[in-house]
Amino acid sequence: MVKAVKAAAKAVKSPHAETVRKAVAAPMLEVPEPKLTWMNKSRQWGVRVKPGKKGLTLGSLNVGIYGEIPMDWPDQTRNPRGAIGRKGMPPVGYMLRSKSQVWADSAADLYEEAIQRRWAPATDVPWNTVKPLPDDLERAVCQVNTELSQYANVEIEVISAWQHQMVYGYHEVKQYLATAGFDAARHYEVFRKRALINGGGLGLEGPGQVNRMILESRGGWTEAVVYLVLVRGLLTQTILRYLERYASNEAESFIYRNVLQDKARLMTYGLDHLKFAIAHNEDQKQIVATLLAIGDGLFIRDFNDPVLREALAIIFGGSIDGARGAGMDVYHDMMRAYISTHLEYCQWLDVPRRVPERLEQYAPQD
Amino acid sequence: MAAFPSVEWFDDVRNIFNNEESFRGGGGGQCNCVAGIKVGNEIFVLTFEGFECAGARTASLRDLDEVDFYLDMEIHEWQAMIENIRQNGHAGLGYTLNTLDLDRAERLATSVHGDQYREDLFFRYNQTLQYFFDASSRIATEFAR
Repeated sequence: MVKAVKAAAKAVKSPHAETVRKAVAAPMLEVPEPKLTWMNKSRQWGVRVKPGKKGLTLGSLNVGIYGEIPMDWPDQTRNPRGAIGRKGMPPVGYMLRSKSQVWADSAADLYEEAIQRRWAPATDVPWNTVKPLPDDLERAVCQVNTELSQYANVEIEVISAWQHQMVYGYHEVKQYLATAGFDAARHYEVFRKRALINGGGLGLEGPGQVNRMILESRGGWTEAVVYLVLVRGLLTQTILRYLERYASNEAESFIYRNVLQDKARLMTYGLDHLKFAIAHNEDQKQIVATLLAIGDGLFIRDFNDPVLREALAIIFGGSIDGARGAGMDVYHDMMRAYISTHLEYCQWLDVPRRVPERLEQYAPQD
Repeated sequence: MAAFPSVEWFDDVRNIFNNEESFRGGGGGQCNCVAGIKVGNEIFVLTFEGFECAGARTASLRDLDEVDFYLDMEIHEWQAMIENIRQNGHAGLGYTLNTLDLDRAERLATSVHGDQYREDLFFRYNQTLQYFFDASSRIATEFAR
């Protein structure tokens, strides 16, 4: 290095030559002896996790001190769990620092599952099976896909708005939610593609009362999960199941089936998290019940909007004529399935729940 | 030619399913669950581990307590599904697992324990389960009447 600088100083007759000569004379360019003191900094050394039948999974890394996941995580830096924090790091200002605010035991598995079971709308969907449909049916399919893509967009915004508020102590949840956001992006993409592939186009924007309710839920992530999973998520899941049942072609069947699968992971996370939150917070059960009761009003406003109902009935009935009879019957079946599963989930969570009067027609008779 | 339902039939399907790369992508992938199959009064248990269906065995009614969920249909309903899959190379629109689940008054996928978390594995692994039964299109099946 020093030789090179000397050579340069001789060779170059530049205005900087004097500066270079001074630099060579002074010790300022010498490389200091490495101290390597960081090499002894580890809270637990000698860890050797072996890949199992499922590979080297995120959950399998939770061994020794790396598997210690405390109920509270006061560290507000980006220090990865298990690493030694530096002194004097300014806080990032995470809002969610308690395990009961974010945790689900299934998060690490769901993360792996999402990575494993990904699919690509561009190439995996058998788009060649989409054939021209009667105009009324195509318009209905496009309208439903428009609203579903809007739902997916809301999901992306809600998840990303809360994810960065979570401390790094519960990285499994942050990582899983990163995949959930990506899933939602894929859903936005695939519904848009279905709307635009067959001579139709996007339809009318949905009424959006529930969207606003989820987006503007400021109480905490758990509170957002109540709306995102127990209300919107379950309704979307039920709609997808019926859309798969009444798909016009293999492409739609594949789309709805695979979105359903992705959605099932978010449902699992949500239920698992709510169960955990309820088990660790005395008031949480009642808070969930209250939120659901408040949400009913906005849900009913969306429900009263005829657009989605009519479009779904046309798909289920195969045409406008079919919608008037069989289509609406299937729509009512779908709503009964939604309310019934919603009540099952609430019962599983031990959350008291009363079906609002406007929706009583869909409540199980027993 | 293996008869449905039998362990031999499930083993033949497993053999195809476990060796077909395409079932590991396109929404398929690793699957970890224990699924019961109820064909009338006959019961089988399938164990899915990683990319494979690791085993199929006969079981008793009591074994259904232990599985994550089980698929329950009468023999003629299973036969209709398997024949449709054989004709199409995969389940046609009226015979996907989700459709069969919706079309039945009593659901296709159910459980004894009622644990929502475990029951929902049916939806989380739906495409893999569909690929598994779709693999039966590549074997000849004999039905015991």
